[in-house]
Order: sequence, then C-alpha cells, then structure tokens
Amino acid sequence: MSLRTVRSETPRRAASSGPGHSRGVWSSESSVSRRPDVVVASEQSLPERDEFELVMPGGTQAAAKLAGRDPGTNIAVLRLSQPASPPVLVPGETQAGALALALGADGTGGVSARLGLVNLAGTQWHSVAGGLIDRRIVLDLRLGRAEEGGPVFSAAGAFLGMSTLGPRARVLVIPAATLERIVPILLKEGRVARGWLGVALHPVAVPDALRETAGQASGMMVMSLAEGGPAAKAGIVAGDIVLSVNDAAASGFRRIAGQFAADSIGRKAALRVIRGGNLLSLDAVIEARPPT
Amino acid sequence: MSAVPQAVPALVIRVLVHATDPVRREVLRQLVIDAGHLPVDSPMDADAVLSDQVHAGFAAMPEHSGQGLFTPRELEVLGAIGDGFTNKMIARRLEISPHTVKFHVESLLRKLGARTRAEAVAKAREHRLSNTVEL
Repeated sequence: MSLRTVRSETPRRAASSGPGHSRGVWSSESSVSRRPDVVVASEQSLPERDEFELVMPGGTQAAAKLAGRDPGTNIAVLRLSQPASPPVLVPGETQAGALALALGADGTGGVSARLGLVNLAGTQWHSVAGGLIDRRIVLDLRLGRAEEGGPVFSAAGAFLGMSTLGPRARVLVIPAATLERIVPILLKEGRVARGWLGVALHPVAVPDALRETAGQASGMMVMSLAEGGPAAKAGIVAGDIVLSVNDAAASGFRRIAGQFAADSIGRKAALRVIRGGNLLSLDAVIEARPPT
Repeated sequence: MSAVPQAVPALVIRVLVHATDPVRREVLRQLVIDAGHLPVDSPMDADAVLSDQVHAGFAAMPEHSGQGLFTPRELEVLGAIGDGFTNKMIARRLEISPHTVKFHVESLLRKLGARTRAEAVAKAREHRLSNTVEL
C-alpha cells in the first residue's frame, strides 16, 4: 500500500465536541485495491462520531464517514464521499540520528512542518491498548496537538509513518508497515479484533516462601475482573497471582501480550496461578476484546 | 488590609474549556474568567485548552525489571494506608503483628522513595495507574 497526503483536516469549527480534534489527516491508497477515497487519522485525537467535514488542500470542504478505528495502534480511517487525488507516498526505513520531517495541517488547507532527529529506531512494541506496532520510532521534535496524525518523512522523502503523541508529549511514529497491516482490516471490518482475558493485571513480587515453587520472582496480580469475562468464567478471582499464560512467564507485560493477537480468539489460555499460597492451573478460553 | 485585587493578566488568553460534565465545565469557565482570561467555544479561536481530561498520550505497555516490585502483602498494607489506617489498625485488619506492619511500611516507603505515608499513597496511586494493564 502506498500512502498519499491530502493535507486535509477535520475543520475546527465543525468539530463541536471539544478539543483535540485531528488536524493531520491524510489519504491512503492500497496497491491491491486503489482507494483514493480513504483518509487516515490519529485515533486518539479523533472525536467519537461517525461523520466528519474535512478541509482539503486549498480550503475546500469534503464530507467523510468513519470507516473504522483502532485504539490499539492509534489508527482511524475515514472514507471521503468524493475521491481525492493526493500525491503517492513511497514507504521507507529510518535509523537513529537520521532527519525526520513531520507534516501537519494548519486548519485552512495549508501545511505545517516540523524537523527533528530520529531519537530512537527500534523493534516492535505493544501499546497499552494491546496493539502491536511494527517498529519503535521516537522523534526528537515538538508537535502541537493539532499537528498530530500527519505523515512523517525521511530526509530522502521516504514515508516513515504517522505522527502520534505519546506520554509527556513525546512524538512517536506509527510506522508505514503498521498502517499497511491495519488500514485494510479497518476498511473491511471497522475494528481490529484482539484476544481478551478480561483481567486487569499489576506486576507483583512473588512472596519469598513461594519463589521456589513458582520458579520465578515476579508475576501479575489480578486487580479486577470483567464480569462474565473469560478469566471469570475460568474461575480466576481477584488477588490471584498469574505466573504464566500458555507457558509464557507472566513476568512482563510484553511477554504475555504476544499471546493475545487476533488469531488467539477461541484458543485456550492455560493459566498457572498462585492462590492462598497454592499453585493452581486453570484454563480459560480467549474471547474477542469487546469494543471500548 | 485592602481587598484582593482582580487578577489582570499582562496578556489575555483565549481559552477553550472542555469538560463532559456541564457543571464541571461551568466551574472551569468561571476559573478562566476570574483569572482575567477569555473563554471561547471554538478550538479555532483558542490560544489554549483547559480540559478535565488527562491526555496521557499513546503509551507502550509498561515494562519492569522485577526490582522494587511490591509483594501482595505490601499491596494490602498500602491499600490500608490509603484508607487512613494506623499501623495498629492495619495489624488488626490483616491479622499480623504491629511489628510486621512496621516492617512492611518501611519497605514500602523505601521502594517508593517516599518520606511520609501520604507521599507513599500518592506515589503508589501513580505507580498503580501506570503499571496496571487490562488483558
């Protein structure tokens, strides 16, 4: 899939539900099915509604409907009522120390630009919401909230991904590879299915007396359960300490997050837990994470 | 003593007030007016945004080294401190000796880098919010 900028935005005046509307919105085109009517935006900055008015280059307005949103990867997709003709973007890679150019929309059909260094370029990571992001790219530049969700380019003009504001206003990039994976799913299904256990977990130290039996020094305590969720149905109770999920030690979130990809739905999650000083094994059936 | 003068800022800032709850929104609006600034309705006209929502940003799953994690017992003690319990009350609630409670409290303060119980509760809340993941 190649991605193309529209430099369009949700108009600030039309957006009535509060601040943080996405301004850096742009279009994508799949190489499989050409979609000049598709616009990509930052999910966290897009208001909760189905219809949008976008400001196109030059200031004209265009109506768009929400096609899908995925909080897990911060990707939202809109469908324009009229096809646009944005330039073709060529995806590329980057490395730490390279230059990056982040574009945003100024709200009247123009562009804002920010230049900075690639602070970090690492491997894949999981977001708190459970999404898998293909590369960790952090930029050493400042970005206004209004500019979030625009395309990021390398100095050579290659398309790196979509700008996203992280904690403490750090600027992250949702890489082109992740957009290529998620956008088609959102166009087809409106959301991205993920496995779900229905528990809130908090890392804890395994008490000294149980360390040898547990075979590990830390686990995840069940802080709360979703009523009728997979874990509750399997007999997990609040206060249980999860030691492993399908043989993946629950000593870090990243390690167990890999157990809950879309293809995990319907599969068994074998849970090894400590309850009241005893080791227990319980089986849960992974369900689809309900829409938030 | 003279009355507290009305705040006159050097620069009047146009502030967009955002809150889902209308009462809260009105309180925030009044706050802006009292400070001598101008509340506006459109993000287009705003220089700044005052929101009751914490825009935490798109975050990665927290990762820990395994060092400094609380034990389940320490979490219970921490919860009791948060409820305003004294060591003696905690000992009764958890059916352990006050000496053991003191030991747990000291360990908690050390792990959190807190000097007081109140500081420990505040830091623990932050720690818990940023380290609890729903799966």
